[in-house]
Amino acid sequence: MDIGIIIAGLLTLAIYSFLYRDNPVYKAAESLLIGLSIGYALVIFWQTTLVDRLFRPLFNEGDLILIIPLLLGLMMFSRFSQKLTWLSRLPIALMIGAGAGVSIPAMLYARTLKQISASVAPLYTASGGFDFSALVIILGLLSTLAYFYFSRRHEGAMGKMAKAGTYFLMIFFGATFGYTVMSRLSTLIGRIDFLLTDFLHVLR
Amino acid sequence: MHTRIPLLICLIAGVLMFLQYFSGHPAAKAIYNNILDWWQIIFAFTLLVGVLGFIRNNLRSISRKKETPFKTIALMALVSMPFLALVGGTKIGSPFMWVFEYMQAPMQATVFSLLAFFVASASFRGFRARSVPAAILLVSAVIVLVGRVPLTEHFSTSLSKITFWIQDYPSMAARRAILIGIGLGSMTTALRVILGIERTYLRGER
Amino acid sequence: MSGEKRRWIIFAALFAVAIISYILPIQIESRPSPEVQKSYDYIENLPDSSVMMISFDHEASSLPEIQPISLAILRHLFRKNLRIIGLSLFAEGTAIGYEMLNRTARQYGKIYGRDYVFLGFKPQHISAILGMGESIRRVFPEDYFGNETDTLAVMQGVDNYDKVAMVISIADGDRAVQWIEYAGARYNQKIMAGLTAAMITTYDPYLGSGQLYSVVGGLKGAAEYEKLSGHLGAGNRGMWAQTTSHIFIIVMIIIGNIVYFRSKSSQKGRG
Repeated sequence: MDIGIIIAGLLTLAIYSFLYRDNPVYKAAESLLIGLSIGYALVIFWQTTLVDRLFRPLFNEGDLILIIPLLLGLMMFSRFSQKLTWLSRLPIALMIGAGAGVSIPAMLYARTLKQISASVAPLYTASGGFDFSALVIILGLLSTLAYFYFSRRHEGAMGKMAKAGTYFLMIFFGATFGYTVMSRLSTLIGRIDFLLTDFLHVLR
Repeated sequence: MHTRIPLLICLIAGVLMFLQYFSGHPAAKAIYNNILDWWQIIFAFTLLVGVLGFIRNNLRSISRKKETPFKTIALMALVSMPFLALVGGTKIGSPFMWVFEYMQAPMQATVFSLLAFFVASASFRGFRARSVPAAILLVSAVIVLVGRVPLTEHFSTSLSKITFWIQDYPSMAARRAILIGIGLGSMTTALRVILGIERTYLRGER
Repeated sequence: MSGEKRRWIIFAALFAVAIISYILPIQIESRPSPEVQKSYDYIENLPDSSVMMISFDHEASSLPEIQPISLAILRHLFRKNLRIIGLSLFAEGTAIGYEMLNRTARQYGKIYGRDYVFLGFKPQHISAILGMGESIRRVFPEDYFGNETDTLAVMQGVDNYDKVAMVISIADGDRAVQWIEYAGARYNQKIMAGLTAAMITTYDPYLGSGQLYSVVGGLKGAAEYEKLSGHLGAGNRGMWAQTTSHIFIIVMIIIGNIVYFRSKSSQKGRG
């Protein structure tokens, strides 16, 4: 049998040993996973970004403007010095500012206006029939928004709307829970497939 | 100076990245593309800082003899990946990718699959119709669980139709309200950040 | 019975149910949902050599669920003779994405560089998504193997989203949201998503508003896609175990509620 499959199988069982209770075998596997994951990310980031996008164009091709992100990037290390730590604010400020700048149109258009316009649908269809589902959407949207509106006390009509909002939220959370269960079970089935087919050869 | 310069950089970057949305001018595009590049590069440096922090904390724990074996395993695993990449490269078939394929990926998937067991346990202990909202949540979840398996589709399509209706209308309406709320909140926060009113990202420094 | 023992019994019972039903040779057919049908139809009706971009935006943790989705879609893309540009916006998706792309390409006799390419990974996804709207070559000057992107036949005439028929984001989190909100909103790019089931409800508003073209969700979605393309795989293999595990969870919920209401009524009786 492939040594890789044996190792993968044993590590899978080591992780599953947590189902009995926390134990040194699980802890060792967990520590191994943490170290490997960080090491993997480090290598990939180093290669795909720092080498490909910074060092090679800067040092081989002479793209001198890249000195700016290099210096800003190096400033991040000032977080390890108490005296110079303020320098790390500069690259953080650039990233936060750029992120905020690009997000405003995206949030306004894609997340807010598009969603509002999609909710405004006629309650009567072209054939004259009443569209109950369109009513559900508009009621669900308004009542859930009412639930999250905290600038006014949830009393009277507002209170009733907010209460209806909680019911809609519960339907959403319930559906999400159902799908989450489905998702986690699929992952378990995937691991069972590995254990039975590749590791134990019970199935072909 | 320690606060003003970062605030100024944030303002300039934010305004430039916002305004370029409305301009197709080559100069605006050049600035936009450069800032996008820099953003990626600086982001990679932040990971390096995180890694150094992780190493420092683990070494500290080892020197204090706190969970020494586990911290040592984590550190050795971390160091082994760059070493393997240096020796054999990172392409498919390299030792680096072998470790990813046969150690890291199976363990990660298994950790995630543990949640199936906890979800099963939680279904027994916590999923109870204690009140009207809890009952609605329970019914909605059960309908999805029953409606999205092929066995029920085999007998009748009505249940999967009900599932899709719940998903597409009442559930979607609530999620849409949350999304609109997040959109408005994110926009306001972004504006506050650019204008220097929101400064929490500068916190924790002297 | 102590809480710990009860938990162990539930864990063991779920494990047994899943294993036994997986071993049993029961095949259960999945009826394609409207969303999966829409995804399939779109790809099926694309003309030869249309450019499709597939982004592996997930971690290894969701691989058992997401891999059947990726493979079902990739098989269809290659069967339709489309030009495929693969990439990843998650570091872990890099190795996984290339491996799946390469494995499927070999099954269909496709040639790297001519029929498909894997660009690799770029961090800071928003900047990468926006950057590719201006120039793919700028974001990925080289592919995963260090070949200059310009020199590859599959990339000829493609330098931004203009020539890309659709972006398919295979995601276990909110990366597909960023594709919708940045590539979709700003560059009018058509987006489809292959999602873990847990993420389906998160994306419903985008489907409702038309910002997201369609979704293939969860192992069930993969099974439906496999049924449509006539190539049954891991999705269909897991459906019987999925069904019995769902029944197990429902039984747990029912027993839990019976215990709750019985203890409540006995408390009332005593009170």
